[in-house]
Amino acid sequence: MRIERIDGYAPIRDYAAVGDGRTVALVGRDGSIDWLCLPDLDSPSAFGALLDAERGGRFQLQPEAPFEATRRYLPGTNVLETTFTTSGGSVRVIDALTLPTGGLSPYRELVRRVDGLSGRVPIRWSVEPRFGYGSMQTAIALHGGVPVAARGSDALAVLSWQAGDAEVAATSVCGHFRTDAGSSGLLVLAAAHEEPLVFPARAEVEARLEATMESWRSWAGGREYDGPWRDAVVRSALALKLLVFAPSGAVAAAATTSLPEEIGGTRNWDYRFSWPRDAAFTLQALLALGCSREARAFFFWLLHASQLTHPRLQVLYRLNGRADAEESELALGGYRNSAPVRVGNGAAAQLQLDVYGEVLSAAALYARFAHGLDRDHGRRLAEIADLVCELWPRPDAGIWEVRSEAAHFTQSKMMCAVALDRAVELAEAGHLPDAHVDRWRRKSALVREFVESRGYSESKSSYTRADDDEALDASLLLAVIAGYDRADAPRLVGTVDAVRRELGRGPLVHRYVGDDGLPGEDGAFVACSFWLVEALARQRRVEEATALMDKLVGLGNDVGLYAEEVDPPSGAFLGNFPQGLSHLALINAAAAIATASR
Amino acid sequence: MIWGALVGGFVGTLVLTTILRGASELGLTRMDLPFLLGTAVTADRVRAKAAGYALHFLFGFVFALVYYAVFAVIDRSGFLLGSLLGLLHGLFAGTALVNVLLPVVHPRMGTGFDAAGSAPLLEPPGFMLINYGRQTPLATIVAHFAYGAIVGGFIGLAG
Repeated sequence: MRIERIDGYAPIRDYAAVGDGRTVALVGRDGSIDWLCLPDLDSPSAFGALLDAERGGRFQLQPEAPFEATRRYLPGTNVLETTFTTSGGSVRVIDALTLPTGGLSPYRELVRRVDGLSGRVPIRWSVEPRFGYGSMQTAIALHGGVPVAARGSDALAVLSWQAGDAEVAATSVCGHFRTDAGSSGLLVLAAAHEEPLVFPARAEVEARLEATMESWRSWAGGREYDGPWRDAVVRSALALKLLVFAPSGAVAAAATTSLPEEIGGTRNWDYRFSWPRDAAFTLQALLALGCSREARAFFFWLLHASQLTHPRLQVLYRLNGRADAEESELALGGYRNSAPVRVGNGAAAQLQLDVYGEVLSAAALYARFAHGLDRDHGRRLAEIADLVCELWPRPDAGIWEVRSEAAHFTQSKMMCAVALDRAVELAEAGHLPDAHVDRWRRKSALVREFVESRGYSESKSSYTRADDDEALDASLLLAVIAGYDRADAPRLVGTVDAVRRELGRGPLVHRYVGDDGLPGEDGAFVACSFWLVEALARQRRVEEATALMDKLVGLGNDVGLYAEEVDPPSGAFLGNFPQGLSHLALINAAAAIATASR
Repeated sequence: MIWGALVGGFVGTLVLTTILRGASELGLTRMDLPFLLGTAVTADRVRAKAAGYALHFLFGFVFALVYYAVFAVIDRSGFLLGSLLGLLHGLFAGTALVNVLLPVVHPRMGTGFDAAGSAPLLEPPGFMLINYGRQTPLATIVAHFAYGAIVGGFIGLAG
């Protein structure tokens, strides 16, 4: 496939992700690594050409002659294989962020192995690091004969073997070499943070690369899912694993910030945080895949992080569990002039009532898996349920974090009812203190009365986006998934049909239409599209769900990854990438069909 | 007086470590003495840090005893003299100790004589440890200055 860039920017669909459980690099189909934050996923970028093609910095590696590229992940791994074909021959590039093994390895290590397959292929490579989101001047000097780019507490060493002589310029390191059939060149970026660099030996890098592949294969092989669309489900699990921040167990919403929901628009947000809202989806998916270690770590992270704001649940937390997420704008041009580029996320301060339902649903899932809850966790969850009794009558920003005036969103209220119902169930099972169970029941009934009387449209036979509003919202599909009522309750069946009818664009579903306090429009939301599949499956409409799922699975990119949104007419990806919620929704939709088909 | 040297050595090392750690957090340097010392005895990162801290404190005591010997010879002590020794100590660390002597005895530290081998190497520190960040010489000297003042002060108090 030929490669095309617009103003230096590759289509979002053209990226693949490699990672090591701490950070993620995005590799373009043309061999350019345009995004890498160091040392962690939510640290400033060292390569940020994704958000500013001129100033962001990148690591290019490609044939000097015109080429076509095909690629795949090595089966069962997050190691990328790109094959470049030129008129003179072909070459295979293996990209990986290696996992540490025993012994002294770099703090972070990006490996690019270039294997000659046939003929002679001239290759050029260029490393242009720009620390601090491109804001810091990067100095490159030789340290012990190795080119090192350093700034403040961060440094990157560029090591190469059989990849030509490294030419060191003021702000870049580059080289040229030719591959022959059977040749193997190696380029390694060794990163350090607040410590001296470790310069690895080639044999150790090769061994670590092999061990990394084996580690991924072993992890993927341990996934228990045996239903339909297994390849897509396992790829989604691997994508999700890239977003699990191993030091804490938090799951990042995506690997990037400010990839736009509309090209040239302002809907550009930092998703390198963990949203408690996604807790139930995350646990549901992790448990469906047999990822018990990750499920436990995530649940403990969730209750640990929320301790600082207890009993209030903040909309999002940093990956290390901290609650601060102050939003600011960077002096970068933005992906295809989609400015501003934001870091931090102002949504952290919003009131979003649905979070409480998701967290208590997650607790219920975890209690079932672990046969109980820690006593302290139980006490805290009961206090959260008490808070829901106070908060539910308030207007909120809703699941979509609208920046318009707060409203009485129906889905938010539904999730309050779900929160209280789950609290009652957990208390009845002996996992939560039961002193306030009667109050939780009474309040749940009140919430339901509100939803049924003010959040339902007889004319549309559907629940509505907000009280006394006729507009629809795809988040209402979550009422089926979260168990607000029986999946086949007439009002929920009507809602699923209405959402599909009014918000569907082919197999895709928009979140909503109408004002949200921001200029412009976004694309169709991938997660909502999979939620529709799951809702249909839970309503035992398996044929409809299966047909839709087949189409949606075909909308991923060539390596099976999804962004947050898809532009329905063109199929172009929009929004942050790869998007955890999209992959969670895919896994849960496939699992729901598998369950419904049994 | 020797107890003053030992207590001063402990407190001084604590302060020196804290200053260097703080400078690292502020992005002034990538200098990490426990990591450098610990990787001389083990390649395991976690064990290296633990061993490095132990070695770091051991050297802190050893240097405090050297200070004590100097004070005994000149029959004077105090934090001002300690500061002066600390300054010399810092310059020695940057120019010879970590820059020249440590790479000679450190099995994993790169030098100008290394060629492609099978073992990973630590980035060599360079003159005045400048490879670990432009502000490293300043941070190192300030940290050793504080160490010297504390050791000198404690020895003076005990004397």
